[in-house]
Amino acid sequence: MGQRHLPQLPSLERVRSIALGPASRKLVRAPAVRGLAFFLWEKRWFFIALAVGAFIMHLPTPEKLSPEGQIVLAMSIVAVILFVTEPVPLPTVALMIIVGEVLLLGIESTDVARSLMSDSVLFIMGSLMLAVAVVKQKLDKRIAYLIVRMTGTGTFNVCMGISFVSGLLASFIGEHTVAAMMLPVAITLISLTSDDPRNVRRLAAVLLFSISYGASVAGIGTPSGGARNAIMIGYWKEFFFDPADPETRKYLVDYVTWMIYAYPVFLMQLPFVTGVLFLTFKPEYRSIARAVVKLRRQIEKEGAMKPADWLTICVFGVILVGWMTLSSDIGLGTVAILGATLFLVLGLVRWQDLNDGVNWGVVWLYAAAISLGIQMKDTGAAHWVATSFLDLLGTVGVDSGIALWTAVSALTTGVTNTMSNGAAVAVLGPITLNMAHAAGESPIVIGFITAISSAFAYLTVIGTPACTIVYSSGYLKTTDFLVVGTRMVVISTLILLFAASVYWPLLGL
Amino acid sequence: MSEKTFDIEATGEAEPSGHKDHFSVLVCIDGSDESYRALRYAVRIGSGTDANLTLLYVRPVDQGMRTGGLDLSVARANLLDWGLELPGMKALKKGRDMLIELGWLGADWQEEFRHADVTGDPLGDNMIVYTSEQGRSITLKLMVSPSIAHGILDEGDMGDYDLVILPMPERVTDAGPDFIEPGVAEIVAMEYTGTVLVARALEESHGHLLCVSDNEESIRAARKDAQIASRCACPVYLFSVARNEDEVPKAEAALAKARKAIEEEGIGISGEKVALGDAVEAIIEEGRSYSVIVVSAPTRKKGWRRFFTSSVAFNVLERAYNSVMIAR
Repeated sequence: MGQRHLPQLPSLERVRSIALGPASRKLVRAPAVRGLAFFLWEKRWFFIALAVGAFIMHLPTPEKLSPEGQIVLAMSIVAVILFVTEPVPLPTVALMIIVGEVLLLGIESTDVARSLMSDSVLFIMGSLMLAVAVVKQKLDKRIAYLIVRMTGTGTFNVCMGISFVSGLLASFIGEHTVAAMMLPVAITLISLTSDDPRNVRRLAAVLLFSISYGASVAGIGTPSGGARNAIMIGYWKEFFFDPADPETRKYLVDYVTWMIYAYPVFLMQLPFVTGVLFLTFKPEYRSIARAVVKLRRQIEKEGAMKPADWLTICVFGVILVGWMTLSSDIGLGTVAILGATLFLVLGLVRWQDLNDGVNWGVVWLYAAAISLGIQMKDTGAAHWVATSFLDLLGTVGVDSGIALWTAVSALTTGVTNTMSNGAAVAVLGPITLNMAHAAGESPIVIGFITAISSAFAYLTVIGTPACTIVYSSGYLKTTDFLVVGTRMVVISTLILLFAASVYWPLLGL
Repeated sequence: MSEKTFDIEATGEAEPSGHKDHFSVLVCIDGSDESYRALRYAVRIGSGTDANLTLLYVRPVDQGMRTGGLDLSVARANLLDWGLELPGMKALKKGRDMLIELGWLGADWQEEFRHADVTGDPLGDNMIVYTSEQGRSITLKLMVSPSIAHGILDEGDMGDYDLVILPMPERVTDAGPDFIEPGVAEIVAMEYTGTVLVARALEESHGHLLCVSDNEESIRAARKDAQIASRCACPVYLFSVARNEDEVPKAEAALAKARKAIEEEGIGISGEKVALGDAVEAIIEEGRSYSVIVVSAPTRKKGWRRFFTSSVAFNVLERAYNSVMIAR
């Protein structure tokens, strides 16, 4: 049979549009339907986590740790096991934390409910809504056009352009937004170069990693770059700010202050991204002229910028100015919520789109993780873990200065590669900040090291949202992340330690 | 099939992918080379017959946590807006093209699109059914499910397939986004009520090694596989293991019984052998030079029994170097 006779497989969109009659099924079937053994096997980590938690709770309470602190530690360990192994939908962990705080710690349910909502959580909600709103504006084609006009057709230059633009955008609007917007650009360039993925395997890797790593290194640049940053800002305020003590005002880190410390760290990392990717993958094509020309033609069909495009840019500009000038007074979260409101009021996005595009369970999860973090502080559990860990580090002489910074960075990098970086900061933040306090180090420095290191989740697919999104393209393998990610971790850690020991002291830290 | 319409809320998908007047094969595609080798084998099994074929790609429902709270569907919808295909569709398309090259799918086949809304996922299930004038069908199905194992088992139940083939990649580290991991393959092999072929380094033309013991279910399974093997003109070899010299007559009796049952079906045996020693080790070693090792699993063990029952079949499945068929 000749190729010209092949029946054409339609796109999924077309398949959906010509669906035959009403047909539907429920997604979730009760696992128990398949039998108790299957249920138990699937949920084994859930039961193991509960058993571990119960075991820890029934151990003799260590000296200097309160019984409540022991319970909080048990809850934290259970939560971490569940975060990593995912035997139940992750928002379930949030619900378990809430119930646990009431039933195991005896906290009033109203107080628990109150501890769930903070400016950090408002910020996470608002920025997720903004992310969906921005992706829905279809500005990606304009951005792609800008990149290929600036970079020309050389593969290295295109990758550099993609990582630079991804980074610049991600530092303000979050890496998930940028990855969702830029993914089609990279896939279009790949598929226009060759239909057979095997012929463009390494080209695909450099293009896709340019997005994910460009965005990941940038997420640390501003507080709005990622939930982890907002969480750390919240912890500094919660743990160290005392309204009666003017000295502690330094722990109220605003948007611009964060940028002054962290943005240069992002900029220092950016040039290394393309270099590391090219050294690792050595793409098959030095030039992708044909693909770039086709992409340009494709995008030119879109015509000139429309009023809605300009309006979107204006709204985002307003939000950005709001974060920079108002966030210290009204909070990052309020500005983000205001931005989402503006998008809705101006009719640039529908509520339904926001509702569908935001995974609200994640908001619950962050809220519960932050609440648990505060309990770790209040019960003394964080202090106990911090001093114990510090004692341990002391035995090998890494309990202060740059050695301690390296240990904190390594610990955070290890944890963030096994779970989302926001969750990693929510769990580790109380511990590392207490370590700083106990070791006589600056909590601001250790806090920055924790938050920035949480972005070094280059090794695994689930490490960062951008990695997960580019992996969903189907062009990458899990081993690719490990190979190139190891080099990125080393470079990023060295740059961070350089900033902490040379740049930040110049700013008075 | 009592579970055929399980959880189906409307009538649109009540008709399963496989029609029972045809031999039906479900091939799980995950984009790996192994899955396409499995597809080629499925075509061979169905060659010269009126077999129906379903290519299934299961996409687990997204956990938004991994994408920082932004639903992955937003990125997927953006890809579709650019006119790009999703990985699952691409993998199925490759399988479809392979069927055309192999002469299984003709240009004159009728093409029909089906979609099922799935609660909790905006893209839902999508199916393209190709039907020949003779009533034979090829179905490409992109399915969303809480997990890959659930998806395969659900489709297996709905379609009531004669044979389910799924790949087991040699290196998990090379896995792509929706690859079928060995653990998933083992769960499906364990839980599915019908016959499952787990394809691993599948090479055609080396025949089926039918492992039999002295029980009726084993003999029935051997007969069933011999029928499947005869569809692809694959030679059939019988194998039985005796723990010690005393048990050799029992093993030989099992071989004789199996040979008789298979020959009654008009299928010839290419060879037979009795080995001494540990059943699992002996089967794995002997099976290395065959395309497929066939072992029987009596029934799906339920509840706690499975955890406390040592099964030769599942030990072979777990440790074998090549493809294993669990015949039921």
